[in-house]
Amino acid sequence: MNRRKQWSVFTILISIMLVFTACSGGGSANNVKNTTETKPSDSSSSAEPGKGDANGESAAKEEITITVFSMLANYAGEQPGWFAKLIKDKFNIKLNIIASNLAGGQQKIATMMAAGDLGDLVVFGSNGDDYQDAIKAGLLLDWNQNGLLEKYGPDILKNAGQAIDANKQQFGGGTAIYGIGHDVGSGEGPSEGAEMVFGPNLRWDLYQKLGSPEINTLSDYLNVLKQMKELEPKSDSGRPTYGISLWSDWDGNYMTLAKVISQMNGYQEGDGFNPAGLTLVSVNTKEWQGILDDDGYYLEGLKFYFDANQMGLLDPDSLTQKFSDVSNKFKDGQVFFSQFPWLSNAYNTPENTAAGKGFALIPFQQEKIVSYGMNPYGGNRVWAIGSKAKDPERIMEFLNWLYTPDGMMEASYGPKGLAWDIDGSGKPIVTDYGYKALPANTEPVPEEFGGGTFKDGMNQINNTTLKNSMIHPDTKEPYDYNLWTSVLNHDPDPVTKSWREAMGAMTPREYFVKNDLIAVHQPVFTGDAPATPPADIQQKLSEIGKVIKEYSWKMVFAKNEEEYNKLKNQMVDKAKGLGYDEVIKYDVEITEKTVFANR
Amino acid sequence: MNNIKPGQVSRLHTRLDRSLLSRDKYKLFLMALPFLALAFVFSYLPLYGWIYAFYDYRPGIPLKDSEYMGFYWFTSMFSNDVRRQEIVRVLTNTFAMSGLSLLTSVLPVAFAIFLTEIRSTFFKRMVQTLTTLPNFISWVLVYSFAFMLFSVDNGFLNNVLLNLGLIDRPMNILASDSNTWLAMTLWSVWKTLGWSAIMYIAAITGIDQELYEAAKVDGAGRFRLMWHITVPGIMPTFFVLLLLSIANFINNGFEQFYVFQNAINMGRIEVLDLYVYNIGMMNSNFSFSTAVSLLKSIVSIVLLFAANHLSKLFRGENII
Repeated sequence: MNRRKQWSVFTILISIMLVFTACSGGGSANNVKNTTETKPSDSSSSAEPGKGDANGESAAKEEITITVFSMLANYAGEQPGWFAKLIKDKFNIKLNIIASNLAGGQQKIATMMAAGDLGDLVVFGSNGDDYQDAIKAGLLLDWNQNGLLEKYGPDILKNAGQAIDANKQQFGGGTAIYGIGHDVGSGEGPSEGAEMVFGPNLRWDLYQKLGSPEINTLSDYLNVLKQMKELEPKSDSGRPTYGISLWSDWDGNYMTLAKVISQMNGYQEGDGFNPAGLTLVSVNTKEWQGILDDDGYYLEGLKFYFDANQMGLLDPDSLTQKFSDVSNKFKDGQVFFSQFPWLSNAYNTPENTAAGKGFALIPFQQEKIVSYGMNPYGGNRVWAIGSKAKDPERIMEFLNWLYTPDGMMEASYGPKGLAWDIDGSGKPIVTDYGYKALPANTEPVPEEFGGGTFKDGMNQINNTTLKNSMIHPDTKEPYDYNLWTSVLNHDPDPVTKSWREAMGAMTPREYFVKNDLIAVHQPVFTGDAPATPPADIQQKLSEIGKVIKEYSWKMVFAKNEEEYNKLKNQMVDKAKGLGYDEVIKYDVEITEKTVFANR
Repeated sequence: MNNIKPGQVSRLHTRLDRSLLSRDKYKLFLMALPFLALAFVFSYLPLYGWIYAFYDYRPGIPLKDSEYMGFYWFTSMFSNDVRRQEIVRVLTNTFAMSGLSLLTSVLPVAFAIFLTEIRSTFFKRMVQTLTTLPNFISWVLVYSFAFMLFSVDNGFLNNVLLNLGLIDRPMNILASDSNTWLAMTLWSVWKTLGWSAIMYIAAITGIDQELYEAAKVDGAGRFRLMWHITVPGIMPTFFVLLLLSIANFINNGFEQFYVFQNAINMGRIEVLDLYVYNIGMMNSNFSFSTAVSLLKSIVSIVLLFAANHLSKLFRGENII
């Protein structure tokens, strides 16, 4: 009897155990990843005691692995290559990067939040819901605790003190500091490097062949594109060419590539402070428009793509392809019009530019390109430290270094002496190797600097600290190598050369400033945190967003003007039925209260 | 048990029998226990999560600090005309595609019957392997396969047709709204045909061979054998599976429609699961998603019992 009882109890226990180990499998795997401290006996830790290190302290420090949860990273796993070597030598740390972009997206973030552990170093894609919820849920460390920031982050205080203050006011109730924004900078004028974020960039060689026709408005591009297509009906590999090729996988609550048109007209989605809803707001005046306004820039964008399709200039795969497909088409020369300079740069390979073929900025005369401007309060991509971090001091030291001039240079362009150096007169130069490797080429890196390729070895956290167009205090030149005098004068390729001669400016940025075609965003500081929309607004927004997205694409591919207008009316009716006006009202209210009140 | 009197022997026997019996019962229960526990943990414990449907839940913030919403998420779906139209549209899609898949559920039966009639073992094996294989390919890969076949710019089909001179402009098959329901059903038939036939093939091998022999003696031909013996033989299996798929009427999957969706076919491809994903999960609105899944569970239970009742009415047997 007794035996039997024991036996049954035993079986029950086993089955329960089985069940629970099965259930907790997912969770525990995560836990193991966090802050796995490597044992001191680890062979590599004592091998090179702080080579090339200024203070030489790291020799005494134990090797640790920091779990970096970055919502911006596009790489997951251990940081490889030259950047790994750099921080191993300086701080004796390794980075283990978790990238929600690569697996799970927003749901990965939600899972980490619900599990109550965000890792050691946390990078938020925005200072909206996720960041504020994490603070509320106690998942982030207060940097004031034990004087952490003062002791280990003096350079952050020195170089980005206003950003720290802003964060304290907005998110820490005036006392606690939970993080710091990215791209901290101060001063007037645009914050971009040589190139702006937006274009449009077209095939410069074809434009020249056409006799550089004047382009006043957006729709003037269409005729130019048509002629370009006639001039070059086949791409480098013999595929048909298109004026414009679009992709839909970046769409949020509207068609992203139509919204971009507003950014060539001095407007952007949302006010740049609160989370973007359905308004387009001027970056430097108190004007705004609803995204569905009849004379608004969003509909102008849709009309532009619709007209392009009517003229046979739009890639018919636009709707079904992904960004990577478009990028490949650019590489092959299948597309002539690029909304973004960084997209078309894929075509500007040394071979192509040497042959005189390449993309360059061709602005329209009424353009007002948006510049994000210098922001001493920091941008909305936040660096923070998880509340369960084991070595907050070491993490803070690392973060502090990223906010120093040295950290800016080395974390972006590699250790001094590899891709860049300082010449006899104290000015920065790009080395021969650098011209091959920068900005992100698969150039092999010598073993002494960490091996691998330059591209793979780059800082994979993918968040910035100081604004890279700020001036380095020692060299008196910007951090961005594209703006160094030595680089600007370094043997420009035929396309760049011809562009400079024709436009009378060294860089697109200079051209926009000189011709007053630019609208610089003014930083706003209100002391309040950005709004977090209530649940019903949020839900309406996503329902309306779905409708706008669907109809926008249908409109672009509409058969004729009549169908276009019919779809437009349907879109507006449906959106209004779902509460479009209420969302707009909410958006405008928070914008007027915060941004317009301080502009 | 120490002082047994002679008259008690028979009673002892029955007691022993009973204890043996109850011991067996015990054993069987213990054998089933791990599975009961699994069912409990994976099917009943999650029901606790329904509580999230009544709050404005944000990950990381404990439930007690979240705002209580009552039935807001349930009623918001039907709160105005446009939303009701949306729900009707989505449910139409769901029912249409589930209906089509119910209609096509006889295909695996036919396929299994014909397959077992094939005499060449090699050919039979090959067909079965080739038709079962697609079941193991994920929908994401199926889509990239579809994109290679049907894309406008460099798609296989368009290239062939253009080269043969049958068309002069490439067709955009993926971004079209015509026959979306049918196309989706065909994709899913292609993917699951061989896999669903396996169960029927097993049922066919279970049919008593003597029946066939007796029928042959009576002069029945091949098709008569199929129709009068094989078909009735696998009917019970077919009906069980049919009932289960009726219960799943409202959950007709999500991945397939998720990967094939685009703005043009959105109006017809958006089934309930995809709709919930698009407006709930995309924006981390877990509470709303939970509310919908709660409603879905209730609908599924009702459908299952209704189907079961019908089965009892018409065929005199039920499965629950």
